[in-house]
Amino acid sequence: MADGNPQLTPAAFQTLLALARGRAHGYAIMGFVDEVSGGSAQLGPGTLYRTLARLVADGLVEEAPDASEDQPHDSRRRYYRLTRAGRAVAAREAEFLSRLVAVAGQAGLLKRAESA
Amino acid sequence: MSRALGLVPHLFVKDVDASLPFYAKAFDAVELFRNVLPNGVVLFVELAVGDARLLVSQEIPRLDALAPSTLGGTPMLLTLETGDPDDLVRRAVFAGARVEAPVEEMFFGERYGRIVDPDGHRWALTTKRERFTPEDIDARTPREV
Repeated sequence: MADGNPQLTPAAFQTLLALARGRAHGYAIMGFVDEVSGGSAQLGPGTLYRTLARLVADGLVEEAPDASEDQPHDSRRRYYRLTRAGRAVAAREAEFLSRLVAVAGQAGLLKRAESA
Repeated sequence: MSRALGLVPHLFVKDVDASLPFYAKAFDAVELFRNVLPNGVVLFVELAVGDARLLVSQEIPRLDALAPSTLGGTPMLLTLETGDPDDLVRRAVFAGARVEAPVEEMFFGERYGRIVDPDGHRWALTTKRERFTPEDIDARTPREV
């Protein structure tokens, strides 16, 4: 993803979001996605593994050093954290989404924002 | 919910581990997952190629899942979109592919070329451009190819 304009899948962006406040293991990432989406987005272990492997390969996420090196390679139990590049990409995506949300508000698509 | 959610090519090759370096060198493919049978046979490897997934397996004659060299060809053309098809063709050739049709400007508004990878799978490498409307493309379509 060195081309500066990576296309993040929803699962990838949600995973970056889950790690934006600090390191977390895979179970916590899955729980986070379930919670922030109100259960409408499910991140299963297969997608979690794939998404983390891809984000690690792209240099956006890294495994956090942890005492569980002897454990089997289960991405649900391992700890991950954002790299500097991962934080920058997440921030860019969030800014882009916030512009879309602003336009949606102007178009009257956000009922709660209108009545507030 | 039977709506289709994704389309993933699954390629069969003679030897998965011999084939993977091509996809990594040519297309920056990243291995995400591999499934290995107890006898050591790689059942499949899942790669990320750009935003797409690509599955690669060793051929299984018993299941009629055959590599192009066994079949004597392939009916499938895999189209890979990129910002710079000229460079991607150079990289593919460096990684062991053969040029089937050099990159050129096509009537449908893309720079487009075709290669055959070392396993015999055919790839079109093309720009993801939107230069023409469908009507433009109809008007520019050659009488024959």
